[in-house]
Amino acid sequence: MSKTKYPPRVLLAKIGLDGHDRGVKVLARSFRDAGIEVIYTGLWQTCEATMHAALQEDVDVVGVSLLSAAHMTVMPEMLRYRKEMGIEHIPVVLGGIVPEADHPKLLEMGLAAVFNPGSSVDSIIVKLRELAAGHASARIGDVRTGYEQGDMRALAKIITAIQRGDALDGWDPPTGNARVIGITGAPGVGKSSFIGRLAKRLRLRDRRVAVLAIDPSSPITGGALLGDRLRMMSGEPDYGLFIRSLSSGGGAGGLSPAAPAVLKVLDGFGFDFILVETVGAGQGDVSVRELVDHTLLLLMPDSGDSVQFSKAGIVEIANAFVINKCDLPGADSTHAQLLSSVGEDRPIWKASTIRDEGIDAVADWVAALQ
Amino acid sequence: MSVQPYEGRKAKSGTPKEPPCAGPDDLNGFDPVLALGDPGSFPFTRGIHRTMYGGRLWTMRQFAGFGSADDTNQRFKYLLSHGQTGLSTAFDLPTLMGRDSDDPLSLGEVGRCGVAISSLADMRRLFVGINLAEVSTSMTINAPAAILLAFYICVAEEQGVSPDKLRGTLQNDILKEFHAQNEYVFPPRPSVNLVIDTIEYCTHHMPQWNTVSISGYHIREAGATAAQELAFTLADGVCYTKKSIERGLDVDAFAQRLSFFFDVHNDFFEEIAKLRASRRIWSKLMRDRFHAQQERSWMLRMHCQTAGVTLTEQQPMNNLIRVAYQALAAVLGGTQSLHTNSMDETLALPSELAAKLALRTQQILAHETHVTQAVDPLGGSYFVEKMTNEIEEEAWAILDEIDAMGGVLAAVDRGYFRRCITESAQAEQRRIDQGEQKVVGVTDFVEKGPVDIPILQITQETEDVQVAGLKELKRTRDAGRHAAALDRLREDARKGVNVMPALIDAAKADATVGEMMDTMKGVFGAYDGGPEW
Repeated sequence: MSKTKYPPRVLLAKIGLDGHDRGVKVLARSFRDAGIEVIYTGLWQTCEATMHAALQEDVDVVGVSLLSAAHMTVMPEMLRYRKEMGIEHIPVVLGGIVPEADHPKLLEMGLAAVFNPGSSVDSIIVKLRELAAGHASARIGDVRTGYEQGDMRALAKIITAIQRGDALDGWDPPTGNARVIGITGAPGVGKSSFIGRLAKRLRLRDRRVAVLAIDPSSPITGGALLGDRLRMMSGEPDYGLFIRSLSSGGGAGGLSPAAPAVLKVLDGFGFDFILVETVGAGQGDVSVRELVDHTLLLLMPDSGDSVQFSKAGIVEIANAFVINKCDLPGADSTHAQLLSSVGEDRPIWKASTIRDEGIDAVADWVAALQ
Repeated sequence: MSVQPYEGRKAKSGTPKEPPCAGPDDLNGFDPVLALGDPGSFPFTRGIHRTMYGGRLWTMRQFAGFGSADDTNQRFKYLLSHGQTGLSTAFDLPTLMGRDSDDPLSLGEVGRCGVAISSLADMRRLFVGINLAEVSTSMTINAPAAILLAFYICVAEEQGVSPDKLRGTLQNDILKEFHAQNEYVFPPRPSVNLVIDTIEYCTHHMPQWNTVSISGYHIREAGATAAQELAFTLADGVCYTKKSIERGLDVDAFAQRLSFFFDVHNDFFEEIAKLRASRRIWSKLMRDRFHAQQERSWMLRMHCQTAGVTLTEQQPMNNLIRVAYQALAAVLGGTQSLHTNSMDETLALPSELAAKLALRTQQILAHETHVTQAVDPLGGSYFVEKMTNEIEEEAWAILDEIDAMGGVLAAVDRGYFRRCITESAQAEQRRIDQGEQKVVGVTDFVEKGPVDIPILQITQETEDVQVAGLKELKRTRDAGRHAAALDRLREDARKGVNVMPALIDAAKADATVGEMMDTMKGVFGAYDGGPEW
């Protein structure tokens, strides 16, 4: 199997009400294990939001999984949005329960491939690599003009180029005045959902928001499963919100080596706020501080983190705290423990993304940051 | 904290180089009196009835539903006239997700994978000409289960049948939606609380109704191993039991109306062992952990369904044979009722021919093979007993792991179930891709050429008619009564009182499924799926 010098990026999507995700999840993990960066956008997505995600993530291939027999309705819609958004260079493939008789029609329509339950994972991976190799990522010089004109496609491509080690060619993006907020916490505290809500609140105040979600990648294969986006997306794409998933590429402290340069181009693009989600590697995850202006630490009730409150590290560098998932039992005692160990100088909020409570207070704080 | 899923028998052993021949050494310390007992007595390994199928055959319960309420009503009558003994209702995706037929997200899905029910009027048409005092009805519905139950109670009342006469089953198992099937709406805790509302209501008013069909089926279909299916399902049963007791119900008052629903997969002996082990574990849990006093509370009653996931789109006639073997395993495992999948399941909803053949599969098994003439005929087999012991042991290990995490809800919060299931699914896919696991007609013995069996087509007309009817209902209902009923529902949900009476009230006021769900969503919140990997 030929390996390109960087992992291909593939977006995997489920469209509509069909919740059968066994196949897509097995593929997502198998692709990751084969050294592919996978962006999985979760259940119940719309065609528009999916293609919009493909644009922002600048993926090499979009894969759609459908078991609802709605492919003849959904796929033309996907391709229509692809054209509308001006990203026809991104190949789209389909997998699921698709009768043989429909294959030629789908390929004629413009799909790059159709896979069936009989297709082996390896054969799918071979095809994806082939398609990805044909989808050349632009060099920075080629898209600078678009970037300067505020074209998100160009921004997305520049980030890809940076991540793939393309130097900025002596180009220095303009300096903006974005405030960069790092949001960190242990896995499972609900960072992505929280950021999704927070971003929405800031958008309601008419601020331009970028989210950088950094997930670990395998140091061995280079593959990664970037699943944060699924908590942040809604069926209606928001054209003033830019979300980008970045694999850590084996960087220290759960950060991507490309992160500083990526933040620079996001800043230059004119965002008011950049929210950086980092892998909550826990106590050691303090390198985020060097990148951001402010750090928000997310905790959850009874998470066992209370033991760590008194320890050095992340608690020390955080500027503020959110006890998320406060709909779960134990929120009050966690709040009390935290208060007693960090004192009253730094704000502590309680929030619940499920109930959509407590997010406004955090948004007020963020909006007021200088 | 990341919990490594228990590796299990399959993963440890891989494919053995030569077939094991179990013997007395494999059953060292095996005490048939303790481990098996007699059929119909603790620990029920050999079955829950003394004479099993000699006394009564299993219920042949074929799942049906498509198109409009009228279409499904026709199919129900067809199945009843061909000797089926219980009804089983499949709902369409919008109904399963608690959305009305005219919801924008329902577009293209109305009546496609089951029957569309948005209001009491639809439910009335579904059962027209069928006496609810005489049939038992199973409804495969989860997040909006309480609402569909309310509809059923209202239709029965209109027929002059009181709730205590009603027999049937509500699937109503929301936990497995969080683990596997993804048809949840509210967050885990309020969702479970709603299930307990239905258990409490039925315990007081519908003593013959099976309140929850605690389901391993979907967990298995999503990729879990046999032991994971068993353990996760029983853990869910433990969760409902604990919460019902916390609600103040006496365990003996509700436990006898909990039932289970397992998948019957391809691995013939493993499946039989799984079903036998399920009864043994549950009886110990109920007697020793929850201190149920009555024998009937210790019995695990089950419905089984053949494994949809094993069926292939290639050479669909092969599915008939797969289903027949799986059905035999279910019966040898001692199931109380059975659904056999139709051969065309991977292509479309069952055609009338495919549905009939699936039912005939069971009838031939029941009346021609004579397997019904022996109780637990595999009991005492070295190999089957060894496997039953191993699966039981593995399931207990997983149950302990879940307890150590703080129970099912805490494990859901961590994404434990989803992670385990996906890992198992990936491992199985790898075995198939590497040629270690053959799939006839797909990996081997492949044929090219078109599939040629008749397929049921659902027209767009169903959706148009359904949406028009719903719009008419919304236009003509009593707006004041409707608003008051939804206000009461909101208030009851907020106060944390049992919402069943308010749902019955709202059903009579012609409130729709989507309206009731949205009202409760306003109080309980909506769930985003929790940790995925």
